[in-house]
Amino acid sequence: MSYKIAVASSDGENINETFGSTEKFIIYEVAGGSYEKFEERFYQEESDADQNRCNNSDKCRNSDGCGSGCGGKGGNSSKVELISDCRAVVCKKIGFHIQKQLERKAISFFDVSCTVKEALDKITAYYSRIDNHEPLRK
Amino acid sequence: MAKLLDKQRYKCALGAMQTVQAITRAIPVLHSGPGCAQKLSDSIGSSGYFSPNIFPCTSINEKDVVFGGAKKLDTTIANALKVIDADLYVVLTGCIPEIVGDDTAEVVSHFEDSEKPVIYASTAGFKGNNYKGHEQIIDAIIDQYLEKSEVKEKGLVNIWADVPYQDLFWLGNIRELEKLIAGLGLTPNTIFGYQRGIKNIDRIPKAEFNLLVSPWVSVGNMKKMEKKLGIPYLHYPTLPIGAFETSKFLREVGKFAGVDKEKIENIINDHENYYYYLIERYADMFLETRVMAKQFSVVADAQYALGITKFLVNDLGLVPAKQFVTDDTPKAFQEQIRKDFENLNYGLKAEVGFETDGYKIHQEIQSHDYHGYPLILGSYYEKELTEKMFGHFLNISWPVQDKVVLDDFYVGYTGGIRLIEDIYSVAVQRWN
Repeated sequence: MSYKIAVASSDGENINETFGSTEKFIIYEVAGGSYEKFEERFYQEESDADQNRCNNSDKCRNSDGCGSGCGGKGGNSSKVELISDCRAVVCKKIGFHIQKQLERKAISFFDVSCTVKEALDKITAYYSRIDNHEPLRK
Repeated sequence: MAKLLDKQRYKCALGAMQTVQAITRAIPVLHSGPGCAQKLSDSIGSSGYFSPNIFPCTSINEKDVVFGGAKKLDTTIANALKVIDADLYVVLTGCIPEIVGDDTAEVVSHFEDSEKPVIYASTAGFKGNNYKGHEQIIDAIIDQYLEKSEVKEKGLVNIWADVPYQDLFWLGNIRELEKLIAGLGLTPNTIFGYQRGIKNIDRIPKAEFNLLVSPWVSVGNMKKMEKKLGIPYLHYPTLPIGAFETSKFLREVGKFAGVDKEKIENIINDHENYYYYLIERYADMFLETRVMAKQFSVVADAQYALGITKFLVNDLGLVPAKQFVTDDTPKAFQEQIRKDFENLNYGLKAEVGFETDGYKIHQEIQSHDYHGYPLILGSYYEKELTEKMFGHFLNISWPVQDKVVLDDFYVGYTGGIRLIEDIYSVAVQRWN
C-alpha cells in the first residue's frame, strides 16, 4: 500500500516552513518502506476554490487559509484541500484550527524542526510498524 | 484470546499518582497522554493545594511517539520546578512513553542537582494495576531518595498500610493505626495525609522497624528497605478491625518492639472494657437474628475482604459465605491469604475466590443460598445485585458512590464499632 506525505520545506533539506506561511508542499510517495519525491504542489492565495466555499460569509472573505477563518462545517482551507490525499503533513509549526481540519480528514500532522530526511525516516518507520501490526517497542 | 474485564475495581498503575497526591506537598509530573490523569482522578477528596487538574503533564501525542517525548518531558519537569512550589516531584510514566522507549531515567537525571528532589517511577498500565503502581512509588522513594541512616531513633516505627484513595478510609485508618501504636509507647511515622510529608519521608531511615498492615501490598517495599536501609519489618497481614483482631495486633506489635507484656495487657484491657461495654448495651439487637442476615459475602481488595471477614466471624459471630478478593492479588500471596481465611474462630473457614471479573462474582453470589437475604459488603457494583436479592448492602470498596468519607475509619477497636454502626444502620433502616 502506498501513501503520500506532504512536507513544508522551502529548500527540500530542512523542515523550515510553518503550515500557514508555506507556499508549497513537497509531496513524497511512500511504497514498500522507501520514499521518493513525487511532486511539488504550490498554493495560490485566494484560489477559486476558496472563494466559492466562503462566498456566503463575510468573515471568511479574507481567509488566508492558515486557520484564521472558515473553521465551520465544510469550510476547510484550500491549503488543507491541497494535501487532502496525503496521510500526513510535516511542518515547523501548525495552528490549532488547521489541526482540527486535518483531524477531520484523518490526516496526521507533525510539527517538528529537523531535516526532511530525519522526519521521513522516522514517520515511515512508524507507519510501517503500525501497518504491519508490529510493536512500537524499540 | 482477548478478554473483557467486567466491572473493574482498580485502575492502571498510573493511578498511583494518587499515592503521590496523598503525600502532602508532593506533586506528580505525568509523562503520559492528555486523557490519562483525567480518567484516573476520582473526585473523592482529591481537591486542594494540588489537584489532578493542575498536575503537570507532557500530554504526549502521535508526534512524540514518532519523534520521542524526552525533550517535552525535560521542559515539563523544568517548568514544573519553576512554577509549582512543592517539596517532592515524582515523574510517573504512562503506557505510551514506556512502549516507545523514552529514557525517563536519563531525563530525570538532568535534575539531580535541582533544589527540590525529582524522582521517577515507571507506572505503565500494562505493568499492573494501581496497587502495583503504589508499590512502585514507594520503591522510587527508597531507591532514589532515601539514604541509610546510622542513627536510629528509639521507638520510631514507620507504619505502612494500603493504597491511599483506592482505600476510601485510608486517612482515618492510618491515623487510627498511629494512635494504637502510640498507645504502646512507640513513636509512629507515616508519610501520607495532613501534616505529613517530606519531613516524615526523611525520618524513615531512622526508624527501628517498619510495620506493614496489609495482606500483600508493599511487602516488596519492606524487603527493599530491609536490604537498602537495614530496617527490619513486621508484616501483619490482617487489617485489625474490632476487639479480637486489634488485641492480637497489639500483642504482636508489642512483642516485636519489646514492649513490656503487662503494659500491653493493661492497654488492651482498657480498650476492650469500653468496646464490650458498647457491645453489651446493644446485645439484644445483635441477638435479634431477624434483623441481621444469616450469611455474608465481602467483595473487596484483599485487606478489606480479609479484615472484615475476620471481624464479622470472630467478633459478631456471623457465618461466612464465599468471599471475593478483587485486587488481582499476585499468585505468590494467594495461598497464604487463603490460609488466613481458613483460620477463623469457632473452627469456621471461609471460602475465598481471587476474581477480578465482576460478572463471574455476581453469578456466584446469585447462585449461592444465603438462607435468606444476604449481607453484602462490596463496591457500588454490588448495590443493584443486593437489591435484587433483597439483601443488606454496604459500600466499602472502590468504586464508592453512595458514601461520603472524610476521615472515618474501620481499623482498631473504634473502627470495629464504626463498622457495626454502619452495617446495623443498613439493617434497621429496612425494618423500620
